[in-house]
Amino acid sequence: MAAAKKKDSLGLVVRPMRRTGSQVATSLFLGKPNTVLYPYQKLELPIGYRGKHIVDFKRCIGCSNCVQICPNDCMWMEKLEDPELGKIERPGVDYGRCLFCGLCVEICPTVAIHESVEFELASGERSRLKYGPKELRDDAFAGKVKEERQKRLLPILDMSKCTSCEKCAGECPEMCIAMMPIESVGRTKPEINLGRCTSCKKCEAVCPENALKMEEVYESYFEMPEPKFLLKMCTGCGACARACPADVIYMIDMPGTEKVLKDGKKGKPKKRAVFILEKCVGCGKCFRACKFEALEWPGVRK
Amino acid sequence: MAEMWINMGPQHPMTHGLWNLRVKVDGETIVDAQPEIGYLHRGIEKLCEGKSYPQIIPLADRLCYGSSLTWSHLYCMAVEDLMRVEVPERAEYIRVLTIEMQRIVSHLMWLAAYAGDLGLAAGFVYTMRDREVFLDLFQSLTGARITYNFPRIGGVAHDLPPNFERDSLRALSYFEGRLKEYEDMFEGSKIFMMRNVDVGILRKEDAINLGVTGPTLRASGVTYDLRKDVPYSVYEEMDFDVATHKDCDCYARYRVRMDEMWESCKIMRQALQKMPKGKWRIVAPRNAPVGTGLARVEDPRGEGVIYVVGDGSERPYRVKIRSPIFVTVSAAPKMLIGYKLADVVAIMGGLDMCIGETDR
Amino acid sequence: MNLFEFCYGIIHWLVDLVNHLWYWLGDLLPWWFGDFFDAVGDFAASQGHLSVMTILLEVVVVVVIALINVLNFLWIFRKFMARMFDFYGPYYVGYRIGGWLQNLADGIKLFVKEIIVPAKADKMGYLLAPVIFVGSSILILATIPFSVDFGVSTNKSGDYVPAGALFALAAFAIAPFSILLAGWASNNKYTLIGGMRSAAQMMSYEIPLLMTVASVFLLAGSFGFVDIVNAQHDMWFGIPLFIGFIVFLVCLAAEVEIIPFDLPEAEAELVEGWTTEYGGMRFGLFYMTTTVRSYAGGALATALFLGGWQGPSLIPDEIWFLIKAYIVFVVFQWMTWSLPRVRVDQILGLGWKRLLPLAIINLMIAVALKSMGWF
Repeated sequence: MAAAKKKDSLGLVVRPMRRTGSQVATSLFLGKPNTVLYPYQKLELPIGYRGKHIVDFKRCIGCSNCVQICPNDCMWMEKLEDPELGKIERPGVDYGRCLFCGLCVEICPTVAIHESVEFELASGERSRLKYGPKELRDDAFAGKVKEERQKRLLPILDMSKCTSCEKCAGECPEMCIAMMPIESVGRTKPEINLGRCTSCKKCEAVCPENALKMEEVYESYFEMPEPKFLLKMCTGCGACARACPADVIYMIDMPGTEKVLKDGKKGKPKKRAVFILEKCVGCGKCFRACKFEALEWPGVRK
Repeated sequence: MAEMWINMGPQHPMTHGLWNLRVKVDGETIVDAQPEIGYLHRGIEKLCEGKSYPQIIPLADRLCYGSSLTWSHLYCMAVEDLMRVEVPERAEYIRVLTIEMQRIVSHLMWLAAYAGDLGLAAGFVYTMRDREVFLDLFQSLTGARITYNFPRIGGVAHDLPPNFERDSLRALSYFEGRLKEYEDMFEGSKIFMMRNVDVGILRKEDAINLGVTGPTLRASGVTYDLRKDVPYSVYEEMDFDVATHKDCDCYARYRVRMDEMWESCKIMRQALQKMPKGKWRIVAPRNAPVGTGLARVEDPRGEGVIYVVGDGSERPYRVKIRSPIFVTVSAAPKMLIGYKLADVVAIMGGLDMCIGETDR
Repeated sequence: MNLFEFCYGIIHWLVDLVNHLWYWLGDLLPWWFGDFFDAVGDFAASQGHLSVMTILLEVVVVVVIALINVLNFLWIFRKFMARMFDFYGPYYVGYRIGGWLQNLADGIKLFVKEIIVPAKADKMGYLLAPVIFVGSSILILATIPFSVDFGVSTNKSGDYVPAGALFALAAFAIAPFSILLAGWASNNKYTLIGGMRSAAQMMSYEIPLLMTVASVFLLAGSFGFVDIVNAQHDMWFGIPLFIGFIVFLVCLAAEVEIIPFDLPEAEAELVEGWTTEYGGMRFGLFYMTTTVRSYAGGALATALFLGGWQGPSLIPDEIWFLIKAYIVFVVFQWMTWSLPRVRVDQILGLGWKRLLPLAIINLMIAVALKSMGWF
């Protein structure tokens, strides 16, 4: 498509000037210029625009996945006291460092953080660029933004109510539930293959203790790492269960481990941690909380 | 007048980016040239070693901020090669669509800077205005205008928004009309041709020996385009020509880039037509196996290569980036010697320097 | 009535007022002082001194009008360029008059900037160059009249400068010297190159300029502006001497240094060319003076080729003159923003190889017309 080089002398002045002259006529008489008289007129931004973050305090579980994935270390978790929600930890953002990349939005397991269309964040001092969680709070943003992640209705297990009756495993038409033994406890717990679940809700209906509840779970595109549990190092202290934001760990009694006390009575049995890994969000708080090296985290060498 | 060394840069309106060009002039004629780079070194390769694989994607965007999608896509291709991950087909088509749109955007910015340097201020403003049309498309697709953070390991981040096809076809037909006007305005202007024809000649043998790639090589008559010779993604199914020109001067480089913009429009239309339905992203593993991954891509400025070494953890052991402008800059003295000082602008502008990728 | 008579009336009235006070004061003093006072008062109010003061007032009036026109030019330049580039231009400062006050605001901003003199610059040359540049450019306006009645040195009373146009062109040609001086004295390689280029360009474009003007002088039969304009009462000189008009416009563009001939000041290569080392209001003076030169060039083109102040008499002559000068300016701006820069050896080639033969052809046409008795 190489065009021949035009060598005529009209091209000295006339041809380019005709182009710009028609542009002057267009923007003077046939319409308005292309620019927008900011700040009196503003541009309309599309809904997917990545601007200031908004955090839904009710959806957020305080797992700090967003803080860990931020490429530039812009976020931090702040401990707050909320009248409704009690003692919580919610994220804040330092806009002096934020790239507006949107990775924190993608990795959030409960779609609790989102980037809104607001972009006018400039200020005169660097310290005012740090936005704490209270300034980012917007508890009803879910209705205003376009949600892209698919959600599914999946059965979530509450181990404190489970009696190992094995009725759910028998009822599931897709054979998603398998009862796996818990080491040294003598009971079994249902392990659900969430990939095959069709949300038919039969397991929820048949469970006599209401230990299986159907909840809406968002699909995640990042592979969430899961901790590996070493039973012989576990002392049953329960630090991991307290640290977990997603209710994954349940401390269960190990029967047969009661110590005999001095006055002949039997003491309390030792506990061990039981993991319901379908709920795990991969935040790593349990790994950091355990002081007895009972948990292994993938990718971290001993 | 005696010979003297002149420093063009590092603070200079002509040098797009932060680099220094020392020329030795005898009156107005250039006798020797020495480019000096390294002012924008940010240590990106070292930064990559401390971040996990998804965290490096926004960093790869900022390698060359003029055409950022190419570099993040190249990085994702290299990591997918390392992790042996198959990308779904819809994701491949979306990638091709956005890469060609990015090529148009990058070439428009080159044209704006080129025209502005030569004194044609109207050229600068018109091309920037038309670039906005594509940036708006990108904004509705990814949420940002320059550094998109769009490709992911295992696909792309979002699906196409509703009405995207209609909007892009409208943008393409508007843009093809404007391309004709630009050809009229630039090539029809005799002064523009006087500044570009027979200026900055780089012969075919010199270009091949110096390792130059991209539009500069194709303007010297060598038909070498990675999209045709070493096809990646779904380029094998696209029907397009490789733009070459046999004069080796600045006009040839300008012409090659204009032709590339026409071809990109063609490829975009085909990608929109052939786009299959399906998933646009799959879950990629978090830890990489011990091994290496390599990917090559046709950047708007030449051939870019990324080489990733994994060591079993979630962070790479080494990321090596090869930038095309790093090589072309060293070819610059060959093109400069013997021409006038006023030609430096035309010649160096024709190479489309983006210092972000040169200095990393 | 004449500009001279108008200003004379004002001065006379003013001097009368001051003299009344002076004599009254002299009467209050003792006799040996009073005589001295009266003698000074008579001396100051004598005819010669009144004429001198009148001429000073005329100069002030003309310079003020020129500067206001420069502000107008700058406003048109920015608005026209903006509409060509599809944006608004100055909008907020002076909101109701279309942003006219923006240039005043920019001028005030330049006043408050820090003025730095480079340490190794040649002080004498550095400080002298703006003086020569500004002075010689305003000197051009001395002999250009707006109409028969309105001019500093072209009044009807017979003592006008007989070679007005020649003087204007001579003053126009002093500037290259000051540009070279500014470029050299700044102790900077960029400015040196800019100054050299500018000197070469202006020198080579003076010759076709003067040859086209020579053809106008030939047809008009005199060197003075009033005679030239009066000789155009049948037909403007731009029509038979069309080639000359085009050559004159091109040479004017090269003299005033606008794109496409703006290489001495090429932003992309030389930052600001020969004005790089000047800051604050010194730079503002240079910028303003290039606009004064384009205003003076437009006025020259109007007077020499476009019939000066002749036009239907429903608008006064001075306004016609200004309208024509503005039209020339707008055409220049249109050309500026549509064309790329020409390289310096191509500029010189254009000047010597293309414009000089055209100017000679134009001169021959003028000789032919004159000898046929048409003018």
